[in-house]
Amino acid sequence: MKLENEDALDNFIICHKCYTLNEEHPIKDGSSARCSECGNVLYQYDSRLITNALALSIAGLIFFILANVFPLVQMDILGSEQFITIPKTIFSLLDSGFYLVGLLCAFLVFIFPLMIFVINIILFTLLTIKRGEKLTKELLILLSHVTPWSMADIFFISILVAIVKLVAFGQIHIGISFWALMAFVVIDVYITKSIRLSEIWMLRKKILLEGERQ
Amino acid sequence: MDVEKENPFRGRETVIEIDEDKLIPCPVCDAVNIDKGKKNSCRRCGCAMYHHRSFSTEKSWAYLLTAIIAYIPANLYPMLITSAFGTKEESTILGGVVLLWELGSYPVAVIIFLASIMIPVMKFLILIYLLISVKYPIGKDKKANKHKLYYLTEVVGPWSMIDIFVVAILAALIHLSSIEILAGTAATAFAISVFFTLLAAHAFDETLIKENK
Ligand SMILES: [Zn+2]
Ligand SMILES: [Zn+2]
Repeated sequence: MKLENEDALDNFIICHKCYTLNEEHPIKDGSSARCSECGNVLYQYDSRLITNALALSIAGLIFFILANVFPLVQMDILGSEQFITIPKTIFSLLDSGFYLVGLLCAFLVFIFPLMIFVINIILFTLLTIKRGEKLTKELLILLSHVTPWSMADIFFISILVAIVKLVAFGQIHIGISFWALMAFVVIDVYITKSIRLSEIWMLRKKILLEGERQ
Repeated sequence: MDVEKENPFRGRETVIEIDEDKLIPCPVCDAVNIDKGKKNSCRRCGCAMYHHRSFSTEKSWAYLLTAIIAYIPANLYPMLITSAFGTKEESTILGGVVLLWELGSYPVAVIIFLASIMIPVMKFLILIYLLISVKYPIGKDKKANKHKLYYLTEVVGPWSMIDIFVVAILAALIHLSSIEILAGTAATAFAISVFFTLLAAHAFDETLIKENK
């Protein structure tokens, strides 16, 4: 295999799932390219990616704030009203002496999901205004370290499991935050699973090259 | 794979000839890089790629053993303590699953069983197999299968946190003087186990599968 320079390696992509080297080809707007070996999606092309991702990140952050302010689930047990929020769940662990578990949960279901959305908003804003060459790089690196540790989606499924377990104990009411968290999780899964970081790196490169030409 | 055809710089001296097997992805940004041995650093994001070639699997082994050791008390100690009207009931992870099954909550029993027992054990076994197979010539199956196994552990691994979250939610919601649900010692052990399994998987160097032919 011959290459004009190392930069030409950007025309290739290695499949996450099976590690096969694939060559990148320009594809139609709105379509996606799949691995020649295993059929796993390698990259997508969406001309409105930055605008959409920025809008979704802002919406996601708003939903996340809503999900933390109001009760997720309320319950009547023996005539007394109990409720939980995400911060309350974490503090309850810390209060009962489970510092390690509490701290871990704080990072997995609060700090990391929040960080991802704040980073995304800054990142996509910078890409929109075509600024911050160094900062976008640092943010992308940070994003790839944080993303595998964000577990808001798993926490949401855990609430469902907890509700099923609690049905026998008393009347359960779903709070406003439950729906906000659901909306947040849908956006979170869409952003972290369907927008691949390699696509953002390529977009960044394209924007930088355009900037140099002008 | 013929880049030369569209190569406008054809004939220049800068053309690099490389073996396709020498191409590895950056673990941070996915950029395809030429494997330059111990001094690898990614051409796109600049991160140090696989610098610790001399102890390539040891880090992953250390995390994995910690995880396996922590998994033992996680199963022996109670995960959930329910105290209602003076009577205290403790249940381990497996005990909780059995109880849910007996109560007829089959879907929840299955979810907890998968998340707390199947996934962790499967991850231990897959990682042990991968770590051994990159050092010793075992496992005659295709390299692609090993990559798929690794991919599987990355995708399903975090889901073993479900039980911890469920216990945290229950404990936060139900804490009256007459009825109270508390997390047990196993919660800490299990959280440590999941955390270190995730670390072990992240520390595993996927390029070793490629090198071991
Ligand atoms: Zn593939
Ligand atoms: Zn990189």
